[in-house]
Amino acid sequence: MCLSKTVGHSMDKSITLPPDEIFRNLENAKRFAIDIGGSLTKLAYYSTVQHKVAKVRSFDTTAKEAPNDKLYEISVQEEVTARLHFIKFENAYIETCLDFIKDHLVNTETKVIKATGGGAHKFKELIEKKLGLNVDKEDEMTCLIKGCNFVLKNIPHEAFVYARHADSEFRFQTANPDIFPYLLVNIGSGVSIVKVESEDQFERIGGSSIGGGTFWGLGALLTKTKRFDELLQLASKGQHTNVDMLVKDIYGGSYGCLGLTGDLIASSFGKSATADKEFSKEDMAKSLLHMISNDIGQLACLYAKLHNLSRVYFGGFFIRGHPVTMHTITYSINFFTKGEVQALFLRHEGYLGAIGAFLKGAEEDNPNQYSWGENYAGSSGLMSVSPDMNPMQRARSGTFDMLEMDRLERQLVNLPLLQDPSSYIPDTVDLTEDALARDYWLYCFEDALDGVVKRAVASQPDIPEAVVRAEKFRQKYRHKLLTLRHQPL
Amino acid sequence: MAECVGVDSNTSGHSMDKSITLPPDEIFRNLENAKRFAIDIGGSLTKLAYYSTVQHKVAKVRSFDTTAKLYEISVQEEVTARLHFIKFENAYIETCLDFIKDHLVNTETKVIKATGGGAHKFKELIEKKLGLNVDKEDEMTCLIKGCNFVLKNIPHEAFVYARHADSEFRFQTANPDIFPYLLVNIGSGVSIVKVESEDQFERIGGSSIGGGTFWGLGALLTKTKRFDELLQLASKGQHTNVDMLVKDIYGGSYGCLGLTGDLIASSFGKSATADKEFSKEDMAKSLLHMISNDIGQLACLYAKLHNLSRVYFGGFFIRGHPVTMHTITYSINFFTKGEVQALFLRHEGYLGAIGAFLKGAEEDNPNQYSWGENYAGSSGLMSVSPDMNPMQRARSGTFDMLEMDRLERQLVNLPLLQDPSSYIPDTVDLTEDALARDYWLYCFEDALDGVVKRAVASQPDIPEAVVRAEKFRQKYRHKLLTLRHQPFAYGSLTVRSLLDTREHCLNEFNFPDPYSKIKQRENDMALKHYQRTVESLDALSWEDRQFALVSGVLAGNVFDWGAKAVSDIFFLNLGVDIILGVMPFVRELLSRGTEVVLASNSGPALNDVTNGELQILTERIAAMDPVAGLQEDRLTLVQSGSSSPCLDLSRLDKVLAMVVRERQTDLVIIEGMGRAIHTNYYATLSCESLKMAVIKNSWLADRLGGKLFSVVFKYEVPLGKVHHNGATLMLS
Repeated sequence: MCLSKTVGHSMDKSITLPPDEIFRNLENAKRFAIDIGGSLTKLAYYSTVQHKVAKVRSFDTTAKEAPNDKLYEISVQEEVTARLHFIKFENAYIETCLDFIKDHLVNTETKVIKATGGGAHKFKELIEKKLGLNVDKEDEMTCLIKGCNFVLKNIPHEAFVYARHADSEFRFQTANPDIFPYLLVNIGSGVSIVKVESEDQFERIGGSSIGGGTFWGLGALLTKTKRFDELLQLASKGQHTNVDMLVKDIYGGSYGCLGLTGDLIASSFGKSATADKEFSKEDMAKSLLHMISNDIGQLACLYAKLHNLSRVYFGGFFIRGHPVTMHTITYSINFFTKGEVQALFLRHEGYLGAIGAFLKGAEEDNPNQYSWGENYAGSSGLMSVSPDMNPMQRARSGTFDMLEMDRLERQLVNLPLLQDPSSYIPDTVDLTEDALARDYWLYCFEDALDGVVKRAVASQPDIPEAVVRAEKFRQKYRHKLLTLRHQPL
Repeated sequence: MAECVGVDSNTSGHSMDKSITLPPDEIFRNLENAKRFAIDIGGSLTKLAYYSTVQHKVAKVRSFDTTAKLYEISVQEEVTARLHFIKFENAYIETCLDFIKDHLVNTETKVIKATGGGAHKFKELIEKKLGLNVDKEDEMTCLIKGCNFVLKNIPHEAFVYARHADSEFRFQTANPDIFPYLLVNIGSGVSIVKVESEDQFERIGGSSIGGGTFWGLGALLTKTKRFDELLQLASKGQHTNVDMLVKDIYGGSYGCLGLTGDLIASSFGKSATADKEFSKEDMAKSLLHMISNDIGQLACLYAKLHNLSRVYFGGFFIRGHPVTMHTITYSINFFTKGEVQALFLRHEGYLGAIGAFLKGAEEDNPNQYSWGENYAGSSGLMSVSPDMNPMQRARSGTFDMLEMDRLERQLVNLPLLQDPSSYIPDTVDLTEDALARDYWLYCFEDALDGVVKRAVASQPDIPEAVVRAEKFRQKYRHKLLTLRHQPFAYGSLTVRSLLDTREHCLNEFNFPDPYSKIKQRENDMALKHYQRTVESLDALSWEDRQFALVSGVLAGNVFDWGAKAVSDIFFLNLGVDIILGVMPFVRELLSRGTEVVLASNSGPALNDVTNGELQILTERIAAMDPVAGLQEDRLTLVQSGSSSPCLDLSRLDKVLAMVVRERQTDLVIIEGMGRAIHTNYYATLSCESLKMAVIKNSWLADRLGGKLFSVVFKYEVPLGKVHHNGATLMLS
């Protein structure tokens, strides 16, 4: 249940990026939506971007003679395109952010801000006062599903399988245009299990009170550790076998005639029932994590089987960016379905509510009739949050995370002649999985960057400040390449 | 993610004094003939099983060579088979083994079957003390075997638990077709087993969140180390102080998802952020809810996935704990919206021992027999709800027993029952009807003196009969007292179970048939009037004769068993029932050309005629009455399989069922207050039926809105079925 009771980080409140690089295109912004969770706020707005586009035009053949023998004429024009902005930041920044938005908001047609998430009511007054907009609350679950449908349809490689010890930690799934039906298991404080059958049709078919809040709450009681992240840290260091009673603890080995291996957990916390000793915080946290992940995994499998669904997406704060929980959930799903069902996670899971709330407010524009593309230049991308893999993670979490989606002029669909659209993979080599090829191509693109910058400047010989812009491009792209070297995902 | 069956092993450790509160020879009964031992040792309780034989005195009738008396009654010794199951705390195991060793006579026994997590721990002790080889059997197999056995052989084995209902336990009628079912065994972990036939079962699921989790997490959270105490804490707590409810998040219900405000959104959700201490009681309660709900949901999902509607719960988490039965029941109701019921078993604690015993007794093929619970030797179900039964604590230091008698005849359904699965023999469930219960318990207590007197009178030549009769009085009075406090002890309390318990207690003290002599005398007298009675009947017109015949059956009926209002004329009028009432009625049917199957009790019960007596009576009547049919095989005498004044049509002699089928029976007549009023009044048959009796009890008459001695003459025809030329079954 409850999508929104997130983790409380304690960090300094300085904004590490200049706000105008975060809240971009605010001058044209309209249609605001906000999703306020327990610790993170997600803001969404629609804006338009003026682009210079190079247009070609045929010369008028009736003219006396073609000048310079050129085939066609090139003209640079201004074109306005639509863009969706999504920004995620900690609740601590909410007042600063609202102030910034108010100062930069030009468009005065906007009267309403759609709001969702458990924290929406808490900040309602503040938002209304600061922005002068009416807060219009939207149902959380509806927003969540709408957002989920949107990212699954519009962002290729949105969903991934998590494999902690594999060559590539994340294995992305090819987008299947036919996303329905699927099961969404949202693990917030509790668990909601939702069957989604079409754009507007979903049903909460199950749920459980044993969720993220249980891990947090029981964990806090058992270990006196009050922070969710720290509890996960503890768990990742513990040995559950010190606390759990295994099949072999009872039978001395496997229970062959029932097909139970010796290492299987027979009883979570079974050892603490009778042993007269202290248990370590780490071990208890690990046992708790296993208990909860396994339970959710089993429930998800049973509901998937009962409703004949093969795609199961997991979300909610218990999952969000935590490799430990993604790992245990994945393990549990593999165990219970013997590999028949895969646990899928979403790159933009944290934005689903905000996207959905935004879409609710933009229904008259019918955003679902367009195709949208992720603007890599304006999007932060997925972070590896595995502490071993990315030591920068802690530093990063104080910053802002962004997603930008461009509306494409043309609606995009499958080539009807594809043999099997669901298994079609456009790319020949996946550089995430092929480290050698990855190194080569990253080097190659870096090496070619100078040439590209030169060509860019040369293409606008009449505009002196082109040199400055080309230099900005170089910096941005080099930064992206650097990021991709560390996080190929 | 397993569970564990035998992990019953770490059960609640009671701390009680170790004195045995009953003399061991009243517990380990019939040890001298015992063979085939089995033992199931759990974490705290040991369950011992053995097979023994009991010598009974039975009254047999034998035809004289046509001299003065009608027939001769002789008391004979009969040997019957009995299964004994005894449950006691592990603390007593050594004392018990010593006692068994001292009393074990039969030396053929070489092996004791053992199961349960504690079996290996006590292996050496058992082998040393008893000199038997311990042969281990698989726990799950034993559990399932035991479960199949009790479901098939003990009516009212399964019950639904309803804490706040008038009757805490609602017993289910036994459906002979017990498969398939789901067994959810909650030990340390949970095993979910689908049972498809006697020998086919599969563990289809399980969970590591079970009794051990409640105990283990509970111990860590509350510093309370004992399972029972944790449950006690839980029963006093408020889970809403610890759990985050839907309304804590949304301020009320979450309407569009159909979630009510009081639903638990997140177990322990409040302890995540609140900076305060939580009470032990509240945490224990929250934990109990969390675990029960989780198991309930899993059970429902597996039941749905495998299309099973019967789900039984067992294991130490459940065993005798109303708190857990209540939360599991609540959870199942919540998740299935009432489509699936959580069922519990009266003898759940014995399943492993019964199964292990059956494994060892396979050569005797115990499954080919029918078995019946011996109420005289069985403790019955205890209410362990602390509010309802403050004696509980005291009791748990004692021994619990179950005895099953092997029935001489195999029992099956009457093939003419309309719907065997919904058939309930008893008309009034005294467990649910407190007023009726009070009346009947009083009534039976009041009648006890008379029964004792009659028992003594039935054995005038045996002086010590007085002592035995006194023992009988004590035992039955004690049973009545128990039933007053725990009406559910042997399943639903009914007039039938009260009568049966009395019969079992009489048998226990060797009063096999206190009425035999009276019956003999009355039959003798009645037979002298038979000729004259049929002659005067024959003289009547057809219509008048029918009235007279029915009156005859009903008049006899007035004078049968224990009706208070007529007890003073009781002795004078016994024999008229069968000889001057039923036989002329049968004779009339025969003379119409109808085949008649006349069923009577296999064993004695009050003054009801037994099959043995009826054989002789029929011969004698046939000799003096030439009416067609009495001599030919148009009249068939069969045993009902019952030794009760009442009748359970779902447990009738197999031969009776066969004859009924062969003769294409299409009319069933049920006669007598026990058979047609206390039981079967509402029974629906697939053919025509006639239920006839006189209401001989003023309380009951009042209750039914009639007068004492009113006649019940209930004729029912199922749509489109009118009796043509099949046989008539008369249950008398």
